Amino acid sequence: MRPFHPAYIFEVLPQLFPYIGVTIAVTFGTVLGGGLIGLLLAAAKIKRGRIAKILVNTYVYLTRCIPSIVMLFIVYYGLPELLMVFGIDINNVHKAFFVITTFSILFAANMSEVFRSAYEAVDKGQREAAISIGMSEFQAFRRILLPQCTVYAIPNFANALVNLIKEGSLAYTIGLIDIMGKGQLIIGLNMGSYSLETYLSLFLLYWILTIISEKSLKLLEKRLLQGKKILHTAG
Amino acid sequence: MTINTAFMIQTFLDVLAGIPVTLELTFITLLVSFPIAFFMALQKLEKKKFSGKIVSGYVSFIRGTPVVLQILFLYSLLPTILNYFIKEVLNLDVDIFALNPIIYAFVVFSLNTIAVLTEVFRSALLTVEHGQLEAALAIGLNKRQAYARIIIPQAVVFALPNLCNATINLMKSTSLAFMMTVKDITAIAKVNAAYGYNYIEAYLVISVLYIILCTVVQFGYGAVERYFSLYKRISTN
Repeated sequence: MRPFHPAYIFEVLPQLFPYIGVTIAVTFGTVLGGGLIGLLLAAAKIKRGRIAKILVNTYVYLTRCIPSIVMLFIVYYGLPELLMVFGIDINNVHKAFFVITTFSILFAANMSEVFRSAYEAVDKGQREAAISIGMSEFQAFRRILLPQCTVYAIPNFANALVNLIKEGSLAYTIGLIDIMGKGQLIIGLNMGSYSLETYLSLFLLYWILTIISEKSLKLLEKRLLQGKKILHTAG
Repeated sequence: MTINTAFMIQTFLDVLAGIPVTLELTFITLLVSFPIAFFMALQKLEKKKFSGKIVSGYVSFIRGTPVVLQILFLYSLLPTILNYFIKEVLNLDVDIFALNPIIYAFVVFSLNTIAVLTEVFRSALLTVEHGQLEAALAIGLNKRQAYARIIIPQAVVFALPNLCNATINLMKSTSLAFMMTVKDITAIAKVNAAYGYNYIEAYLVISVLYIILCTVVQFGYGAVERYFSLYKRISTN
């Protein structure tokens, strides 16, 4: 039986801390990129015709079926070759770019469904009422629909975000040094010893990260819902 | 950019050998997780103070940490523990390190799926009105009968879409089994690709394969769902 040193779990934590920034940065980049594409996809599905709907559905279906690690490898090996055809050389681009691209592709599919269901959860009469009192389409969306959509979108968004943080740990397989990658490096430096302790401290970090993001979004949802409750009692 | 089609066809044929492994990993894991997850969901629903807390903690931990990490951790922990247990405690002469690594894969994916299914079952059981259980108990069914005949048949309809999602996610995560040297679809493709640096082709082939498997699973669940929601259509007609 190999010896186990619980104290090492906390010894390794300070070495991992600086790399939390990388993990968070990759997550934020993906939320921005994937969120934007997801928004466009949802808009296309709601507003445009049947063909757009079929295309978006196909996109969502296909990305839902492909494991993220396979997607990561396809983007990592395929994207440089594909862009080379157009004369763009991205072989020296930072690895985070490939990670963010991959997870944006996957995250966008999730987000398109989150946005669409949130949009459809708001009563149609709300938009009609807003327009009938003289708001423009954009004003109605920004002032009436968007605040209500946001509340509906938060629980599903929280789910997608937690999944994203977890899946993001796959980035170390293409050599990105985030907390997972650093953990693997530390194990390598120790010639494989203390691996259990290092994994345990990684568990701890990931668990804290996901709990914080879940709880803070829940708080946000609660805050946004407060107005709704007051509205109901007043009406 | 050149695509090596001969390689793709060869890889496709090679990878077919990995399909049974992927399916085995998915369905045996599901079978193992089903009863345990159901039991755990009940602990949470019946508001048992101690066991409910443990279940909540377990679900939160598993769902809050990456599968890769769980794989790496258990794959470096389990063999040594098993070895110690069998050699020192049971005094058997079995070579643990010659075991098929798929066993470790079953353990990791089951631990993971149990947490996911616990939530699926809990939310499905919550959709059945509490009065149904009370009514069943009032007419003299015992608790087991009430669950088996009244509650579960209704809850199944609500659970199926989430179950389908869980199955697909599980099948996708089995692609990580190559870390435990299990020869599933992804592992075979990886080996083939590394030989001549044909990564793009290999991964494109298996993504098509995953899409096909995924479609089959979804069709299967669709059929089961139509069967179980029969009572709804009859009652509305």
